[in-house]
Amino acid sequence: MSLTISCPICGKRDGYEFRFGGEERGPRPDEEGLTHEQWCSYVHMRINKAGIQREWWYHQEGCGSWFTIERDTLTNLEVEGREET
Amino acid sequence: MTDRLRNLPTMKVHPQTELTLIYAGKRLKGLASDTIATALYANGVRIFSRSLKYHRPRGLYSLDGECSNCLMDVDGIPNVRAETSLLQDNMKVEPQNVVGTPERDFMSFIDKLDRFLPAGFYYHYFHRPYRLWPFFQNRLRKAAGLGRLKPSFRMKGIFDEIYPRAEVCVIGAGPAGMQAALAAATQGLRVILLEARPWPGGFFDYRSTNDVSDIPLHQRARQLADKIEENRNIRFFPGTFMTGFYSNNLITAFQVGKETDYFDERYMEIRVESVIVATGCMERPAIFDHNDRPGIMQVACAHRLARTYGLLPGKRAIFSIGDDLGLEAAMDLFDLGLPILCVADTRSDGQAPGLVEGLEERGIPFMRGWTVSTAHGSRTLKKVTLCTLDGLENRDFKCDLLVASAGLTPSAGPLFLAQARMSYDRFTGFFLPDEMPQKVHAAGRLLGLQDPLSIEASGRLAGLSAAADCGALVKVLIKEARELLEQLPGPVRGSKFIQAPGSGRKRFVCFDEDVTVKNIYQACDLGFDHVELVKRFSTAGLGPGQGGIPGHNLPLIVAQYRRYDGDSSDPILPTTIRPPLVPAYLATYAGKSRNHPKRTPLHETMKKTPGAVFRRTGSWQRVRYFTHDFQCREEIETVRNHVGMIDVSTLGKFRVFGPDALHALQRVYVGDMSKVKEGKVKYSAMCNEDGCLMDDGVVVKTGENDYYLTSSTNRADSTAEWIRYHTRYEVWNFSLVNLTDAFGAINLAGSRSRELLQTLTDEDLSNNTFPYAGYKEFRIGGDIPVRAMRLGFLGELSYELHIPASYTRTIWDMLLEEGRPFHIQPFGLEAQNVLRLEKGHVIIGQESEIRNTLHDLGLGFLWNREKSLYKTVGAPALHFTERQNGRMKLVGFRMEDPRRPPKDGSIIVDTRIRGHVCTARYSFTLGQSIGLAHVHSDLADIGTRLEILEDDMGSKRLYAEVVPTPFYDPDGKRLKI
Ligand SMILES: [Zn+2]
Repeated sequence: MSLTISCPICGKRDGYEFRFGGEERGPRPDEEGLTHEQWCSYVHMRINKAGIQREWWYHQEGCGSWFTIERDTLTNLEVEGREET
Repeated sequence: MTDRLRNLPTMKVHPQTELTLIYAGKRLKGLASDTIATALYANGVRIFSRSLKYHRPRGLYSLDGECSNCLMDVDGIPNVRAETSLLQDNMKVEPQNVVGTPERDFMSFIDKLDRFLPAGFYYHYFHRPYRLWPFFQNRLRKAAGLGRLKPSFRMKGIFDEIYPRAEVCVIGAGPAGMQAALAAATQGLRVILLEARPWPGGFFDYRSTNDVSDIPLHQRARQLADKIEENRNIRFFPGTFMTGFYSNNLITAFQVGKETDYFDERYMEIRVESVIVATGCMERPAIFDHNDRPGIMQVACAHRLARTYGLLPGKRAIFSIGDDLGLEAAMDLFDLGLPILCVADTRSDGQAPGLVEGLEERGIPFMRGWTVSTAHGSRTLKKVTLCTLDGLENRDFKCDLLVASAGLTPSAGPLFLAQARMSYDRFTGFFLPDEMPQKVHAAGRLLGLQDPLSIEASGRLAGLSAAADCGALVKVLIKEARELLEQLPGPVRGSKFIQAPGSGRKRFVCFDEDVTVKNIYQACDLGFDHVELVKRFSTAGLGPGQGGIPGHNLPLIVAQYRRYDGDSSDPILPTTIRPPLVPAYLATYAGKSRNHPKRTPLHETMKKTPGAVFRRTGSWQRVRYFTHDFQCREEIETVRNHVGMIDVSTLGKFRVFGPDALHALQRVYVGDMSKVKEGKVKYSAMCNEDGCLMDDGVVVKTGENDYYLTSSTNRADSTAEWIRYHTRYEVWNFSLVNLTDAFGAINLAGSRSRELLQTLTDEDLSNNTFPYAGYKEFRIGGDIPVRAMRLGFLGELSYELHIPASYTRTIWDMLLEEGRPFHIQPFGLEAQNVLRLEKGHVIIGQESEIRNTLHDLGLGFLWNREKSLYKTVGAPALHFTERQNGRMKLVGFRMEDPRRPPKDGSIIVDTRIRGHVCTARYSFTLGQSIGLAHVHSDLADIGTRLEILEDDMGSKRLYAEVVPTPFYDPDGKRLKI
């Protein structure tokens, strides 16, 4: 895997060590007043961005933490050093 | 074996070391360092294979394995590239795609039928009427394809993989690549140098000319190779084929092991900061009538046969070439003793004057502006016709060797893979990079350079540029290197010649797929006039050579067609190049065997236990049976009547602690975890966001804000990830430790388990102080700490003992010893499976799959709906799915025929499929056959009759009735004694 990922604890490592956790979409909505449609949309719908997206990764073969990085889905390269948006 | 040339300084074969090979049943001799192909050639083999479609004879054409001509079956492995595979002693080699022998092939009549096999013929003929397509497809499949693989085939050999890192990777160890490697290594950088051939040197390696330097080029190659060898910063990988080039400068390759290597093939993934591509050139095949006849070969092939392998390639030779290397080769081969009748050059001018004089001195007729138009001879070459480029003048020559090439073409595959922007350069006739990706450089011949000094200088410049990518301070050196390169000769004009005059039906663009110029035109005529469409419709370049032979000619021919069509402004477009650049075995990609199951702390003890049969379950190796009775009657009855024990060390075990530990548990468990009381076990489940069951287990409270929990075996690896994922937005203060491997676990089950356990401890284990669903920590067997839980998975009084891993064996042995009076026996997974089935308990993954909700499985009672504050994972979905109609339900059933349980996975039917059996067994305890099944909710009522269909049952059915669970001890009295 050519992708490298920068773990906030372990530094830049081979993509093989990580597991993908999906695009960043914020904490889940409150149950109060939640419709089924809203819930299904939260669970199943994705933006599927072509470009730079913030996304979650888990350092499975390392420190075991979840964190976000920015990755350009068009080049499959991590975009480093950008401010968290 | 024909005599080899002697005392050539360029020879790589060792005349002293003879090797044997068995070709088509005959014993032949080759030399050490021969390839299979050169050894066969030395033995007079000229026809190497028959072609895919027309069964035309094919021979040695290049030496770098760019086409399927040389694919052979070697030691039972089909499609081995004989041109690049080194000969080993006693190799068994068989020709492929041959009905009879390569010389007399019974399918060769197909060659006459080419009129009926135009491009895309199978689309034309066999799809109408469509219902006949399967019939034709079957026939075509039998006729097509090259190698044959037996169903019993198992790949032999040792396959390895390495993941080296360095600062710089240089692809190609010719003069440019070696200079690049040296330039970067001298700056203190680690360099990985890859070379496909077994030795470095590239196109210097076999050339004796010393036109530009004071020593012959092959000596210069040796000088550079020595420097490479001496330089400790350079790791040189010969016999290594690059396959892919990915972002972040990740290079994939595979190395073929020499006899002294410990591996047969080795997959490589190389991660570097900067890459230099110095892969040089190959030859663009000359296209003319019957250009595939054995006896026709490329210039470098003929030259290397003589210089490297000591083999004069023929007895009477004609040359038809398009660049100066062709002239040089003709002179050199003449000097080595090859009679040359004449040399035709497609160029009317521009030849290096020294070379033309050299031909004159030797009395070799030189014909400018001529080319070969037809090869004659039914199996091998007998005669060629040369003609002027306008086709007006002809001359015939009797010969057995035609050395033919239209010119050079860069081996630019790595640059394409690196996503360099490539375009056709009209001066060189090459696809050249307009723009290179960051930290990728190109050097040497593939830039159109031909002068040896320029090639070396461009290598040095690229090496320094790569060093700069890695932070070396080399600005001044780069400036000097660039200035030097600018003073040296630049790229040379390339040959524009595409194909001989005339329009014969048998001019092959792609040897692998038997695609002719005619086929290309047919595709264009049908409207597939973009080079990518032509490629797919005609299949040119889709064969095992990965487009090596047609790669460059195809775009030129398509452009030529479009020019006839009046469209001259069109750019010449290359076809897309994809990895792997050269064919590789799947075994090479698979690499090392990774069948290394985890073992429990009791593994050694289990191995010594008579009758233990192990089974791989997930990542673990576990015992399935302790007897040869696959129904495990004895093991089951021991638990039901006395006491048994099972190794359950594979359970996931976790400690969760900290001020917010309870919050985390409330988030992932469906139950109300605030109800977990010290000294008590709480059983609960985890769902995913769809409300489907993911895991179940128990939680105990071991102290203030301190919990110990178990997960099912399969989830042990992902539970930490799961809990952390679902709390990732929270700033909760809790810690999570995976104790799965720190603790072994034994489940002691049976009505006499208390009596037995009591013999090992002073702790009061009576039902009053340690009741069902209780939790206790105490010491047993002297001073060994144990965590004990009273659980009811198997339906008997039982203790699940969690013991520090290193003590687990001791406790097991003690229980076995002390248990003798109680008739103790170990039991395995199968007995456990039946015991829990009798209790109607679910095993995740066996009675559940990813689409079953908590309610589908009858576990809805575990869900506490009053804790929405904690945002319990899956709760919003459970609110919806609990009222959803038409879902599958888990039910218990009893067979009408008590002796005949259905097979696991059998389907439940009426007029259509209505469900499936998860697990069913004969229960010795109950004297019935029972099981659990998923059925549509309208079949889930107690008393419903189920029809069960097993594989191959025809119209027969098995019948069962839906009954309540648990089947055994429905009131759970036996758990609580
Ligand atoms: Zn990490």
